[in-house]
Amino acid sequence: MERLSNNYWKGASKDAPFRSAGLLADKALLTVLLGSICVFVLWPMVCIALRSFRDSGGGFTLDQYRGVWHTYGRSLGNSLFVGALTAFFCTLLSVAVALVLTTSRGWARALLMGVLLITMVSPPFVSSLAYIQLYGRRGWITYRLLGLRWSPYNQWGVIWMQSVSFVPLNAMFLQGILSKLDTGSIRAARDLGASPACILRDVVLPLIRPGILVSLLLSFIRSMADFGTPTIIGGRFNTIASDIYLKLIGYSDLEMSAAMNMFLMAPSIAAFFLYRRLMRQCNAITAARQDRQAALDLPLSRCGGVGILAILVSGLFFLMMALQYACIFLTGFLKVSQGAYAFTLQYWEQLMKYNLTSLWRSVGYALTVSLAGTLFAMLFAYYMERRQVAGRSFFDCLVTLPYMLPGTCFGIGYILAFNAPPLRLTGTAVIVMANMLFKQLPTATKLCSAALTQIPVSQELAVRDLGGGHWSGLRDVILPGLRPAFLSCFVYNFSSSMTTAGAVIFLIDPGRQLAVFRLFDAVYQGEYAIASLIATCIIAIVLAVEALAYLITMKAGSRHVS
Amino acid sequence: MKRIFALLLCLMMAFSTLAGCSGGDNSTPDTPTPPATTPDTPDTGTQEPAPEAPSTPALSGKMKVVATSESYIDLFDKFTEATGVEVELLSMSSGEVLSKLRAEGGVPSADLWFGGGIDAFMSAKDDGLLEQVQFDAMGQLTPGFIDPDGYWFSKGITIVGFLVNNSLVKELNLEVPQSWSDLLDGQYEGEIIMSNPAVSGTNYAVVNALLQKLGEEEGWAFFEGLDKNISYYSRRGSDPKNKVTSDEFAVGITYLDRTIDALLADYDVTIVYPTDGIPWVPEGVAVFKNAENADAAKYFVEWLFSDDGNLRQLAEIDQKDGIKIIKPSLEGVELGYDTSILMDEDLSRFGAEREAVLARFEELMGDKAVAE
Repeated sequence: MERLSNNYWKGASKDAPFRSAGLLADKALLTVLLGSICVFVLWPMVCIALRSFRDSGGGFTLDQYRGVWHTYGRSLGNSLFVGALTAFFCTLLSVAVALVLTTSRGWARALLMGVLLITMVSPPFVSSLAYIQLYGRRGWITYRLLGLRWSPYNQWGVIWMQSVSFVPLNAMFLQGILSKLDTGSIRAARDLGASPACILRDVVLPLIRPGILVSLLLSFIRSMADFGTPTIIGGRFNTIASDIYLKLIGYSDLEMSAAMNMFLMAPSIAAFFLYRRLMRQCNAITAARQDRQAALDLPLSRCGGVGILAILVSGLFFLMMALQYACIFLTGFLKVSQGAYAFTLQYWEQLMKYNLTSLWRSVGYALTVSLAGTLFAMLFAYYMERRQVAGRSFFDCLVTLPYMLPGTCFGIGYILAFNAPPLRLTGTAVIVMANMLFKQLPTATKLCSAALTQIPVSQELAVRDLGGGHWSGLRDVILPGLRPAFLSCFVYNFSSSMTTAGAVIFLIDPGRQLAVFRLFDAVYQGEYAIASLIATCIIAIVLAVEALAYLITMKAGSRHVS
Repeated sequence: MKRIFALLLCLMMAFSTLAGCSGGDNSTPDTPTPPATTPDTPDTGTQEPAPEAPSTPALSGKMKVVATSESYIDLFDKFTEATGVEVELLSMSSGEVLSKLRAEGGVPSADLWFGGGIDAFMSAKDDGLLEQVQFDAMGQLTPGFIDPDGYWFSKGITIVGFLVNNSLVKELNLEVPQSWSDLLDGQYEGEIIMSNPAVSGTNYAVVNALLQKLGEEEGWAFFEGLDKNISYYSRRGSDPKNKVTSDEFAVGITYLDRTIDALLADYDVTIVYPTDGIPWVPEGVAVFKNAENADAAKYFVEWLFSDDGNLRQLAEIDQKDGIKIIKPSLEGVELGYDTSILMDEDLSRFGAEREAVLARFEELMGDKAVAE
């Protein structure tokens, strides 16, 4: 991997004294970035770790760890089982969806892309509710349509639900790789008379193998940390993450749940280092050819068994998603009375009477977090990818830690870290936004890093050779090159901030209510219709903001080019 | 390695700069009040109970409340009218409140805790997380429903029974269960849903009350038998009700109040008051120790229990009348049921036995943790 050396920058400062100020600013910026990662990621993690060694009197003990293996070994086994299968099914679905997306054209592509964008916004709880409504013991599909009597409250329900909900992000990622594949080898294969089926099997799939592995690992880690799905539809099936959640809200046992967290992180950290190695290879394939970004010209329907399978699998996915979101949307406008459904605007009117400040506050927070978080992620990715920073892999791993923990624990870590001087932040808006930002940073950084590797280092060097200063390289090469990444990063940050619940439940201050908690309250009261309407509002807002962001970035882009 | 260490040192220095930064950011969002708002009360340090607050003390600032639901806002609006103290409400389950309190290590982010099973309040008191409140009208409240030292009070009573789905009962050829012992019948296998007692104060009351009634041995035998029929233990207190109304399960063990009565209009369900006794649990109210605006919170407790009008409004919001048991002199609220149907419970055992009971229950549930 090419990187600009520090000497290069130092040399630059020697012959131009005024640049030393730039160098200083550069150092300061780096310090702020790394410093805030230490404060907002490392420090809360250290607090959790310390807590796991604390006994009831405040002294040191290993008791928690003695209990963990004995009591929760089985849950860890369950987690690994669910994680592995989720990773497999999710990746299968994602590859199929990505293939269909890259090979389809025109309105079909626009439609599929639209559905995928909508499903990127997944308000908590209501998706699970829709799942039960559709596939539950009395589900519309499973019982009323197919007459099945089955219970969804088990490990298979969890695996299925997780697999489906992780697809959108993975599919987008794989789609990005597919659309930038070196089309030369595909053309070469075709010229040599290979059938589309052969090209898909022998050229395309092997080429994206690192991408597939990355998708497997990311889904695995995410599944390990997901406590919501097993809690709501796992029935008697417990994973380590759902056990941690229960330990926290049922027994208020911070020490034990902290120890369980440490336990959960071990396999995830192992998976992360594997991921890092693979990601490098992944970047190597796509970085190869910048100039040729022609879409994959491969009719899937003529690609033999694999192609047909991809079409069928992704068809199933899109159908399920359409049903799920239709279900969420309709629930808000249907009134059930003695088993009969009727259309009603009653819930909508009820919602309008609600105080909507929480919704606008959510939007405000989400906007702030997305802008700040995206900027942070871009700068961080730049320093990590392009510059020699001491302890690079350490920081890279550090940034990823929040991804591996159940959200609630990251939230508790924040209370432990920031409820006392020197940095008392509890009760402020800052702590909530910081938590969102750093919880989402792992993915945001990955998105930016992937985009950065697409920008040849040579371009930046060229700017230097033409006499461009320190910042011109950043301004004229890096930032414009990162425009698409800015968009996806912003979109990801915004929709996550609007829908996050687990991590911030402990940080929210009375009086700083967010929309998701209104939603949670409604679900809790059994007012599913109201919950669905709030979810619909959240989805609509996120889509509107995304569209706006898209227009603005693209407009800025065209101005830049002209 | 040395370089990393040097870098870490650098960061430590950056740390303090940053702390200043984010402190500054603080003032940008809407509320202009960082920690110290009311430096007026000296009583945080002293241990003896405060003698007595004057009838309308001069209160100021905001009172932050964690409650089980946001529906109480009207009651708090009335408080704001009476005192000028603005109220901010956040809904949180009692388990979440306890975890948060413990993590905060004695610097609570809220002032008043409103609602939730009394067992959580008892364990918070044992952990020294609650503040003492004393006022005149305390004498009119039924002993046993308030902490003798004034650390917690009861604002109502949750009673527990069954909600039965008629169409499922018909389809699966079941009988409507009438008593707790009926639930052991094999016909209900996989058709009963109950909340995990660790999460739901209501279902914890079921476990503790039945253990008290049946005795240790017989009691645990009952729950082992019941476990065979229970599909799973949900992680939210309202799930049994919601799952029965959405036709997922035939029998739910749930709280009963007038909101449940109202379900009859839209759903084909039956409400059952078990004939062999109804478990019940008081819902707590307490002031957090070291709360920023403890004065307002303390006065709220006094204000609520001293004025019958306030209690009537509370009963109206809660859609239940248990407050009549807590304050028998209260007029205008009549109990919808005869107190003789309630089980005999020694509430002090709720707090004292919580850990042991839950540990044993966890074992019982864990034995066959995975269905199928």
